[in-house]
Amino acid sequence: MSTSLTSGRAASGRRVLRSLLPGPGSAVLLALAVTATTALPLAAPQFTRRFVDDATGGAGIHQLTLVALSYLGLTVAGQAARMVTAWLGSRVAWDGTNRLRERLAEHALSLDMAFHGRHTPGEMIERVDGDVIAVADFVVAFLLDVVVSVLLLCGVIVVVFTIDPGIGVVLLAYCVLIGFGMVRAQRLAVPSATRSRAASAALFGYMEERLAGAEDLRANGAGEHAVRRLYQVSAALWRAELRGDTVGSGILAGTSVAFATGTALMLALSGTLSVGTAVLLFQYTLLVRTPFERLIDQLRQYQTALAGMRRIGDLLAEQRTLPVPSTVKDLPETGPLGLEFDAVDFAYDDEPVLKGVTISLAPGETLGLVGRTGSGKTTIARLVARLYDPTAGAVRVGGLDLREIGAASVRRRIGVVTQDVQLFAASVRDNLTLFRPYGDDDRLRAVLVEVGLPDWDLDAQLGKVSAGQAQLLAFARAFLSDPGLVVLDEASSRLDPATERRIEGSMTRLLSGRTGVLIAHRLASLSRVDQIAVVSDGEIIEYGRRQDLLADPASRFTHMLSGVGR
Amino acid sequence: MKPVMVVSTALARFHLRRYLIGGLLWLPVSVLPLGSGLVLRQLFDDLTTSRLPLLLCAAFVGVELVRGLMIVVAWTYGDYWWIAAATLLRANVLRSILTGRGRVPHSSGEALARMRDDVSDVVEFVDESVPLAGATLFSAAAVAIMASIDPVITLVLVMPTIAIGLLSRRMNRLIRRLHQRARVLGAAVTGYLGEIFGGVLAIKTAGAEEAALERLRRHNRLRREAAVKDRLATDLLSTATDATVEISIGLVLLLAAPAMRRGEFTVGDLVLFTTYVGWLTALPRSIGVILSRMPQAGVSTERLTQMMGPGEDLSRDTGVWFHQEYPAVVHPVHGDPLEVLRARNLTVGYGLHGVDLEIRRNSFTVITGAVGSGKTTLVRALLGLEPLAAGTICWNGRRVADPGRFLVPGRVAYVGQVPRLFSASLRENLLLGRPSEHLGRAVELAAFDRDLAAMPEGLDTEVGSRGVRLSGGQAQRVTAARALVRSPDLLVVDDLSSALDVETERRLWERISGVSTLLVVSHRPAVLARADQIIVLDRGRLVGRGSLDELLQTCPEMRRLWSLSPLDGGSSPERDLSPKVALGNTCNTA
Repeated sequence: MSTSLTSGRAASGRRVLRSLLPGPGSAVLLALAVTATTALPLAAPQFTRRFVDDATGGAGIHQLTLVALSYLGLTVAGQAARMVTAWLGSRVAWDGTNRLRERLAEHALSLDMAFHGRHTPGEMIERVDGDVIAVADFVVAFLLDVVVSVLLLCGVIVVVFTIDPGIGVVLLAYCVLIGFGMVRAQRLAVPSATRSRAASAALFGYMEERLAGAEDLRANGAGEHAVRRLYQVSAALWRAELRGDTVGSGILAGTSVAFATGTALMLALSGTLSVGTAVLLFQYTLLVRTPFERLIDQLRQYQTALAGMRRIGDLLAEQRTLPVPSTVKDLPETGPLGLEFDAVDFAYDDEPVLKGVTISLAPGETLGLVGRTGSGKTTIARLVARLYDPTAGAVRVGGLDLREIGAASVRRRIGVVTQDVQLFAASVRDNLTLFRPYGDDDRLRAVLVEVGLPDWDLDAQLGKVSAGQAQLLAFARAFLSDPGLVVLDEASSRLDPATERRIEGSMTRLLSGRTGVLIAHRLASLSRVDQIAVVSDGEIIEYGRRQDLLADPASRFTHMLSGVGR
Repeated sequence: MKPVMVVSTALARFHLRRYLIGGLLWLPVSVLPLGSGLVLRQLFDDLTTSRLPLLLCAAFVGVELVRGLMIVVAWTYGDYWWIAAATLLRANVLRSILTGRGRVPHSSGEALARMRDDVSDVVEFVDESVPLAGATLFSAAAVAIMASIDPVITLVLVMPTIAIGLLSRRMNRLIRRLHQRARVLGAAVTGYLGEIFGGVLAIKTAGAEEAALERLRRHNRLRREAAVKDRLATDLLSTATDATVEISIGLVLLLAAPAMRRGEFTVGDLVLFTTYVGWLTALPRSIGVILSRMPQAGVSTERLTQMMGPGEDLSRDTGVWFHQEYPAVVHPVHGDPLEVLRARNLTVGYGLHGVDLEIRRNSFTVITGAVGSGKTTLVRALLGLEPLAAGTICWNGRRVADPGRFLVPGRVAYVGQVPRLFSASLRENLLLGRPSEHLGRAVELAAFDRDLAAMPEGLDTEVGSRGVRLSGGQAQRVTAARALVRSPDLLVVDDLSSALDVETERRLWERISGVSTLLVVSHRPAVLARADQIIVLDRGRLVGRGSLDELLQTCPEMRRLWSLSPLDGGSSPERDLSPKVALGNTCNTA
């Protein structure tokens, strides 16, 4: 089992890397730039050796000047090449990370509400944006520092081999040893980097929720308390970072010392050669040292990126709990859809919420759900919209089990208006269409007029909206799609009577020719339903046609009606 | 002094000991290469005379060993200051937003982006002063050593350094502009992600995932263009710095050629010069980083300050609370219980025009009106959540200067229209730092006791992100209980009962009224019938005040609202109307 888990993680890691890979054109350009960035600095020390040996050997000043000028030209060209590499590299990296971010967002959006209930939007920002940026930064660094450094290293080893094979062998062995040590050390560092990244996600998740709920905190005089908690979460981050940085800086220092030892070794070995060659070897070790240090400098970012990559992999490995049907069936494109609950049980994390719910609604009929808050009405609505699957029993729409119907078809044909209207800091149009392109502006305006928001400008940014207006907007969204089954979950709860009356007509139109499930606390708004189900503690304790229940003075529904208003 | 400098100075000073010691620990890391250079010089000179200097090789390693140790110590020591400084800024902004005059910009995702990126920009800028000090010290010593060997070459080497400083200044404005743009577009992506994951239920139920992603792609493209340009400009500067090293080494070769031929400039000297030149660029590089970070830090300071109120200090020293607990929040008991709260001529720019209000102890006041009539605006204006264009508020006859900070728990608690809960336990959500003495009673008053009893984990139940694991009605009663835990003199409730069923609602009002003075926004008959005083609003103006039956006789707008109201369960308007004590009896029909 553990092997399948690791291989699954490795596979998702490969998927992450694949999203980051550049196209062939960019790859060739980048390879050329990287080659130039490596080759030019590699040639430079040859000129210094020439210079030292010529100078100590007593060559003419003209000759020495020429060598010095060549050195100058070569190094300036080297810097230019580096610049081009940086530019190409950041383009390629941004393309890759954008692709990755889009993939992650797509995957996260496809996960069901059970997942989103466990993760705050702030946490999602950190995972879809923060982690991806860590990876992006690393990819740029990887192209510039790691690849160039490794190439340079190889180049140096080859050149040193041509000078003195013995020293070349020592250098090679030494580099292999350092490389091996670094890989081992990096494995050591990843868990602590993961922990500090998790602490950082917790901090930003905390802040996002507090900023979004700022007014409630103010109104409850809980500001200082929230600040107090901020310190606690930040202190946890500090502890995590401290552990991570102790490992990280230890690796940096260790490598640096190991490197100096190598340099000293080279110098001790080259003592028998000419001074010019000694200078050349020294310069090569310096040449390797700078990118080497950069490389280790990147190790921290690399650890973060690796941790980020792992978390990205984990997110991608997160499975939908709503299985995708093997053979997809679609709901009929038009017309009302029947609804059937067949002995449905449901539990949130083993906590039973619904027990043996059975409902049968013919196409075009309307069902009213009544009951205390928390009795399970909203859960029934969410099962109808297939935000969850029942733990036992079946929900059938249009005669088909919801689990067998394609997701697109479910979304198109089942419309939901929830009690909390989710608004976006975007234009009125985007809030209405939920970012979908919609060619027909006249239709959009007509819908706004229909729900009683005639003054709203489609292109204006959605400003401060009262809860009542938000409900109207939610209605407008429902009108815009053409569902065969509509779930209205306390949809008109925040409207005052005058406004509710205004949209009553259009609500009737929305329900006419469609099947409807209405959850309303105001029993008066149930006057148009055909059936009534009284829900209590997750069970339907009374179920029947509305007029039958009304005619029965002993029914709970009649009792509820008469109990009202006193 | 520029705001960014004020903030930087404060960040350096709020924990001076950590900052100074941290800086001092980094100094050897910058200065020790001086020793490496001197060792190398001797080493090469010895090589020229064909001695194998094993001792010097060992010394070279020794210097590096000490430097490595210093890196570990300085780095881990510095973490504390770094995170403490970032937390100081974050805590100050958060405190201003939650208790002061600060405000959240248009989306919380945007605010979060500022708390994350802008804070780290400012702290990094201040942190950069440490390498600057090290580089300065190194440069001074290195120049002195080099000048003692060959003053002319040393002088020439200083030139490129100055050139780099000048180039940095020239490029400042460009970098600032590009960086700001990249930041704005980056925050747009972050903000948008926050939006779609905050509204994920709406997007999923509408099947709008693909459209939401398409919009993300658009934001992404814009951000990429800006980020690449931003990076290019920054790289241009750092490449120019790197190139100076190379050019300098070339210059050393050019200038030293004659002296070397004469034997006055040894190979060891050459090695020392080329080694030092590499480290010398640390100074212009560090200056370059500071110069390019300064405008970024300036923008960041500005963006953080924007979230705070006028006169509030972003970098006020409010301490570090990593080792000790932050002092427990004190909730002062005020000795001025509500007798009467009067507001005159409350006016808010767009939605409210000259509304008067009077609330007496233990009364039940209801504000009603059509959608958009200004009900919510009125209570928010009263509580200082909306800026007043005109109007005065008096508590027991004394004028309230800053209602946003006076009409708060202790005196007033407010239950907003949309319940906002936090991802924590039910207990934490209810208390938010208050002592738990009133908890049981508040839960009972808010009619949440039965729901709580049905939860296996009771008050330890985790409510999930933004309270998603509770139903709408439960969340509303939890927010009501949260307000009641604060045992306010005046409880202000905006449309509490909208997601409650009739029975629960009746229980709630029965329990709640009489416990505290109530100001309630509602249009529900059961609530209106209970009211001592009803305030009727129409398009931001007060059009009626009195008890329900008075208003039904005198106020056309009230009659209109009432006649439209499909009474819950079909009870007739007359049935429940027992005479109520009227506090005011006016109907200013406009």
